[in-house]
Amino acid sequence: MSVLEMKNIKKSFGDLEVLKGIDLTVEKGEVVAIIGPSGGGKSTLLRCATTLETVDSGDITIAGDVLCASPSEGAKSVYCDKKMMQEVRSRFGLVFQNFNLFPHFSVRRNITEALIHVHKKSKEEADKICDNLLKKMDMSSKADAYPCQLSGGQQQRVSIARALATSPDIIFFDEPTSALDPELTAGVLKVIRELAEEKMTMVIVTHEMSFARDVADKIIFMAGGVIVEQGPAEELINNPKEERTKAFLAGY
Amino acid sequence: MDKLGAIFTQLLNGFGFTLGIFFFTIIFSIPLGLLIAKGRMAKNKIVSAIFRVYISIMRGTPLMLQLLLVYFGPYYVFKVSTGSIQVGPFNYRFIATVIGFSLNYAAYFAEIFRGGIQSMPKGQYEAAQVLGFTPLQTYFKIILPQVVKRVLPSVTNEVITLVKDTSLAQVLAVTEMFTAASKLASAQVSVVPFVVAGVFYYVFNGIIEIIMHSIEKKMSYYQ
Ligand SMILES: Nc1ncnc2c1ncn2[C@@H]1O[C@H](COP(=O)(O)OP(=O)(O)OP(=O)(O)O)[C@@H](O)[C@H]1O
Ligand SMILES: [Mg+2]
Repeated sequence: MSVLEMKNIKKSFGDLEVLKGIDLTVEKGEVVAIIGPSGGGKSTLLRCATTLETVDSGDITIAGDVLCASPSEGAKSVYCDKKMMQEVRSRFGLVFQNFNLFPHFSVRRNITEALIHVHKKSKEEADKICDNLLKKMDMSSKADAYPCQLSGGQQQRVSIARALATSPDIIFFDEPTSALDPELTAGVLKVIRELAEEKMTMVIVTHEMSFARDVADKIIFMAGGVIVEQGPAEELINNPKEERTKAFLAGY
Repeated sequence: MDKLGAIFTQLLNGFGFTLGIFFFTIIFSIPLGLLIAKGRMAKNKIVSAIFRVYISIMRGTPLMLQLLLVYFGPYYVFKVSTGSIQVGPFNYRFIATVIGFSLNYAAYFAEIFRGGIQSMPKGQYEAAQVLGFTPLQTYFKIILPQVVKRVLPSVTNEVITLVKDTSLAQVLAVTEMFTAASKLASAQVSVVPFVVAGVFYYVFNGIIEIIMHSIEKKMSYYQ
């Protein structure tokens, strides 16, 4: 069964049509990278999938739960109720470009707060999950630090741990390394690579072409609100078919 | 020296009322200020306009006038006699003072809180939302604690102003410290009571500054 299904997604901001009918399906264990020029609608697509924006029309299903659906082709999409919305939100994690950690919480609390107060885990359980994740992120010594005491790369790894804590079915990344100095991106990419090896289902918007090629199963090239081309990672990067894809990749 | 002792005890009596006005105003005006800030930021244009007008009137007219209105308003407007109102040890003069101060200071606090809330990055709300926090949890766990830190310096300013403003209660003949000092000064034909009162205010504000500074320091563990 697919973990994410987006069908004919359309979204406008005022007069500006940003998504012009996007279809995206992500299977369990699949890693999908989305690449494309600035303003192409990549972030907007991710924000629609993660309930931060509402779509105008189209269907979104996450792990079998229907977030929204158009009653008929192209009709205004109808969203699920609040309870279902919370259910859907527990199914995915989102990693932001600029981390958005809670600055007043320690690393540990950033990771455990939702576990305890949303997912009703005990403090002990939450701490155990947190310790395991921090170990995986190579951050065990920083459990009691505050975000402001960490480097950008460390902050991003904490935010990945935060997104993983609730055992989501899928994780979305919006340019996870774009806010980082080049020497800090490696640590973050390594963590994502490891997640891919563990068959974590992921959708990653990125400008790191070689990373996308190495890590992703499928790459989607998005521009002007449409999917211009998609295919197996190697193939799309090495032998793009569409002119726009070629032109874009030539810049890298 | 005896005379100074007498001044001291009399002012100390008045200081009890000053403290009372101060603490009750803080207790009422801060939560009220938060609510008014919420109202001011309401999406509904009419609601937001009502609160904007409230804030502008409270900040744009003298506090002394507002105190007089709260005190005399019930009688002249609604023909309600307030003379017999008594809540515990407090008569209506005192209650009206606290109401007037609270309504006024809530307006100032509301603008400070609004500034603080609006300065919060959108990403904090978004991160909380995708983690599944309810709007109420987001507000009390994520937003408010950070807003408190951001607004603390401005709040300290208001609190210090409030200490000095308590002297305005004399228009309602509340025998707070300044009223007591005025009476003593004219009885003794001396400025000494005023000087002593000044020392009281100054020391009180000194203590407040120390307290607020230590709170600020406590919150300096991040950012
Ligand atoms: N909240 C918004 N209101 C109005 N316009 C918006 C909003 N969010 C995005 N847009 C517009 O939608 C278009 C697509 O933006 P989006 O952020 O999705 O692009 P992107 O592919 O993520 O670009 P980048 O690579 O620069 O991150 C842009 O023209 C942007 O200006
Ligand atoms: Mg983007």
